[in-house]
Amino acid sequence: MPESLFYFIQQLLNGLTVGSTYALIAIGYTMVYGIIGMINFAHGEVYMIGSYIAFTAIAALALFGIEFLPLLIIGAFIVSMIVTSAYGYSIERVAYRPLRGGNRLIPLISAIGMSIFLQNLVRLAQGSRDIAMPTLITGGVSIGPEDAFNANLSYMQMIIFAVTLITMTLLTLFITRSRMGRACRACAEDLKMTNLLGINTNGIIALTFVIGAALAAVAGVLLGMYYGVINPYIGFMAGLKAFTAAVLGGIGSIPGAVLGGLLLGVTEAMTAGYFSSEYKDVVAFSLLILVLLFRPSGILGRPEVEKV
Amino acid sequence: MKKAHKKALSQFIAVAAMAGASSFALAADNIKIALAGPVTGPVAQYGDMQFTGAKMAIEQINAAGGVNGAQLEGVVFDDACDPKQAVAVANRIVNEEIQFVVGHLCSSSTQPASDIYEDEGILMVTAASTSPEITSRGYELVFRTIGLDSLQGPTAGKYIVEQVKPEKVAVIHDKQQYGEGIATAVRDVLIEGGIDVPVFEGITAGDKDFSALISKLRQSEVDFVYYGGYHPELGLILRQAAERGLDVGFMGPEGVGNSDISAIAGEASEGLLVTLPKAFDEDPKNAKLVEAFKAKNEDPSGPFVFPAYAAVQIIADGIKLAGSTDTEEVAEALRSNSFDTPTGVLSFDEKGDLKDFNFVVYEWHADATKTALTE
Amino acid sequence: MMIQNLKPAVISAVVVVVLTGLLMGVRLEQLGTGLTVTGAGPDVYWKIAAAAAFMFFFNLFRDHLSALWKALPGMPKTPTTLSDAAEKPLVRRLFWCFLIAAALIWPFMANRGGTDLATLVLIYIMLGLGLNIVVGLAGLLDLGYVGFYAVGAYSYALLAMYFGVGFWTGLIAAGCMAALFGFLLGFPVLRLRGDYLAIVTLGFGEIIRILLNNMTWLTNGPNGIGGIPKPTLFGLEFSRRASEGMQSFHDFVGISYDSSHRVIFLYLLALLLVLITLFVINRLLRMPIGRAWEALREDEIACRSLGINPTAIKLNAFTIGATFAGFAGCFFAARQGFISPESFTFIESAIILAIVVLGGMGSQVGVILAAIIMTVLPEMAREFNEYRMLLFGLMMVLMMIWRPQGLLPMKRPHMELRT
Repeated sequence: MPESLFYFIQQLLNGLTVGSTYALIAIGYTMVYGIIGMINFAHGEVYMIGSYIAFTAIAALALFGIEFLPLLIIGAFIVSMIVTSAYGYSIERVAYRPLRGGNRLIPLISAIGMSIFLQNLVRLAQGSRDIAMPTLITGGVSIGPEDAFNANLSYMQMIIFAVTLITMTLLTLFITRSRMGRACRACAEDLKMTNLLGINTNGIIALTFVIGAALAAVAGVLLGMYYGVINPYIGFMAGLKAFTAAVLGGIGSIPGAVLGGLLLGVTEAMTAGYFSSEYKDVVAFSLLILVLLFRPSGILGRPEVEKV
Repeated sequence: MKKAHKKALSQFIAVAAMAGASSFALAADNIKIALAGPVTGPVAQYGDMQFTGAKMAIEQINAAGGVNGAQLEGVVFDDACDPKQAVAVANRIVNEEIQFVVGHLCSSSTQPASDIYEDEGILMVTAASTSPEITSRGYELVFRTIGLDSLQGPTAGKYIVEQVKPEKVAVIHDKQQYGEGIATAVRDVLIEGGIDVPVFEGITAGDKDFSALISKLRQSEVDFVYYGGYHPELGLILRQAAERGLDVGFMGPEGVGNSDISAIAGEASEGLLVTLPKAFDEDPKNAKLVEAFKAKNEDPSGPFVFPAYAAVQIIADGIKLAGSTDTEEVAEALRSNSFDTPTGVLSFDEKGDLKDFNFVVYEWHADATKTALTE
Repeated sequence: MMIQNLKPAVISAVVVVVLTGLLMGVRLEQLGTGLTVTGAGPDVYWKIAAAAAFMFFFNLFRDHLSALWKALPGMPKTPTTLSDAAEKPLVRRLFWCFLIAAALIWPFMANRGGTDLATLVLIYIMLGLGLNIVVGLAGLLDLGYVGFYAVGAYSYALLAMYFGVGFWTGLIAAGCMAALFGFLLGFPVLRLRGDYLAIVTLGFGEIIRILLNNMTWLTNGPNGIGGIPKPTLFGLEFSRRASEGMQSFHDFVGISYDSSHRVIFLYLLALLLVLITLFVINRLLRMPIGRAWEALREDEIACRSLGINPTAIKLNAFTIGATFAGFAGCFFAARQGFISPESFTFIESAIILAIVVLGGMGSQVGVILAAIIMTVLPEMAREFNEYRMLLFGLMMVLMMIWRPQGLLPMKRPHMELRT
């Protein structure tokens, strides 16, 4: 096979990995949106906090002499998910519940405020310098010739890809099959009616935020380990890209978020690979504007019927 | 008239703000030097370096009897490295009738502020802004005690051409003033030296994933990479390059040469080449000064500490030589004399730049230490 | 009553500890090339304990507190006579005259630094008023407003650099360019719903900034553009030595050169631009189009059934808002004399948005007041600068919860049927 084909495969794999990272965060956005129709703008910051907690947990466990890798990673996941769940719950209580039912613009601005607040809270508490951690999972496989250009894929990339797909599947099953998921969908249809039917809608909405935040923690731990470097500003850009991915795929649709993420990631990798890294963000945002021009509700989104 | 009351209140606040700014005024005999740079904001740590060096110089000059019988007095102004605030700071400095400025730090702040200083007859010496633009506009009252980007680039480029001798080099930068400036200078020297530069590309500062770029570098079969920018991005590039089997040499400017790069890149930072100004704090000549910093529990190792010290010193020496605080006479004295400072014997050219400022090529190690490769 | 509150009280205290314990109570430290954690120190622990205790008791006694709250006399309301007086056109006019007079006298009372700061405030007022049309009046959340500001600034800077265009021509060109960009962007995206619009405009703002940064051949990239000419007064320059073929202001008037003239002139110019902006917006508000903006914000479906074309109205608001950003950008470039893409980041958009939100969406006096607070406060207390963004964020949340209508909400013109 010619070298250029392996180069293409390599860039595709790069794009799919980056896309999976976007998708992982985008699922959280889209879930909250699907249920209450509000964008949790602070989701990117919850992801950032998840990364910080994961680093803290791993460093603390290592300090206690625990060096067994799976234990470290599982510990990081558990601690990080607990803390971010608390954040998801608090964000809902503080910035969303008092505002439910009013003008759509108001919770959005309040969430932007929350996002700025959390980012600066972490900056003040932990400093704005980069915090780095050595790579925990190393190695990978390569495809192609030994002596010429070959495409390679690290184990960490495979894990990210797999976790994204598993999360998507589990979440879709949860929404479509479980009792709780049915209650969520009922809330999405008509909040008042659901409440009248005896379902604790406050509880369901809080649960949505908690699940969304826990997903952000999964992303935070995985991406923290993958890149090995965090700072208080990673949440903004990651959140922005994930938000773009969610809108691209049709916000409210879980497979849409994954599709949007992958599309965005591959577009960026191809732009960087065949054109120039300088323009990858321009191309990514232009793609969003273009797609919305032709499909105003995103690729897999349902066109919204406005109710009077 | 509740609204009118509020307006009056806000005006009172504004007046109070002005009063606060001008309350530094002290005895008339003092020669005031404005120290302008970031006290707050994302690059405040670099501002600290500048203030540390400048304050030490003021203290030591005063202890030695001051300048022509007058004492120096440093007044700190915070521009947060924001061009908009830098202009506000410059106007406040004019306001307080201060004649001498040591600052600013970021080139994008120094440039608009220097317009005002030149116009108002204020002498400015920057100890940290390295953009060639600043001194290329024919201003007479603008000086600097640090090397230019356009000087560091050629040093690095020459070293690559003469010592590393690669065939194909990729030049990457972070699309910021500092990084792109140096990278462009390096590319020009490399092409002149007959080296092929197939990749010259910017990345986004703050990005985390460079896999697409690294694949591109692997495919284009470069055997050396120069990066213009700061340590967070280069650290990640080194780390991801090592994981993805891109096994080539890397080189960067002083913005990458600090211990954080080893923390980020780990083993991958071993063998990285870095151009840095001479480590003034390791010069035996400066041992006493370093002791003085340590006695005050201050860190003398930052790249801007000694240039800031030198900036204050040349202002003081210039005033002594000119015999007055008239800035045009002081500027004339600075241009026509040379000064023995902790950063070496300094003399200035017509533009206000140092006649020679040496960058040294170091080899970086994974434990954040470095060894000098050139003199 | 307290017993049933015990459970939520304990839960909220525990949540506070979980929220802050690992994030603030523990600090990540880079130890050489490795990573370690250290405790943040007893004062932080005490703060966390205090916050948890506060939440615990707050929730425990929340019924008592809300009873107490109700027992308190309500917010001191302006006496009806006063607020009635404020409604009267004469009083309003007097108030505005007083405000303008105070603003006119200001540069002659304050020193150079004060005047310069006031100029900066006026730039933010202009931006706030412009964004107010889009967000406050038309109800379109624009997160990329800074893009139009950048377009305005660069239009003037580029025209001055390549064609030697002066400030006044530049001002018009900057307004037109920004309007054109507003129109071009608005055309496709205004069909989108509010939240989609937010992300698209945010992306647009980023695209503009990245393009300005990347197109080095045109815009000088990250190096920025310097030497942008200052405004002139009917061809008179405000400089020590007038350039070739020009006359300087002090020669013309016959006074000695004083550099503060230019600062005062810049201030007065900014004031003039703000007054024009205010005037135009007030006129527009009284025209059918202004009424349509507000109607659209309140109920889009009702508007459509009344035969108003939402897209056209939105496009109007978007374009006019962008035009004012263009004017502000042009003036900013002239005041700075140097611009680079780093002055036009998302944070700038967020600050302008915060001004609009704090001022009360739709209210003009509110926007002016908020712009003053936002610009002067950080200058006053530099230490406060560290916490500035933190408080911005907190304030945006709290404002939305307690007073979504802002500090000084707009008085809606309304008529009541008399029986």
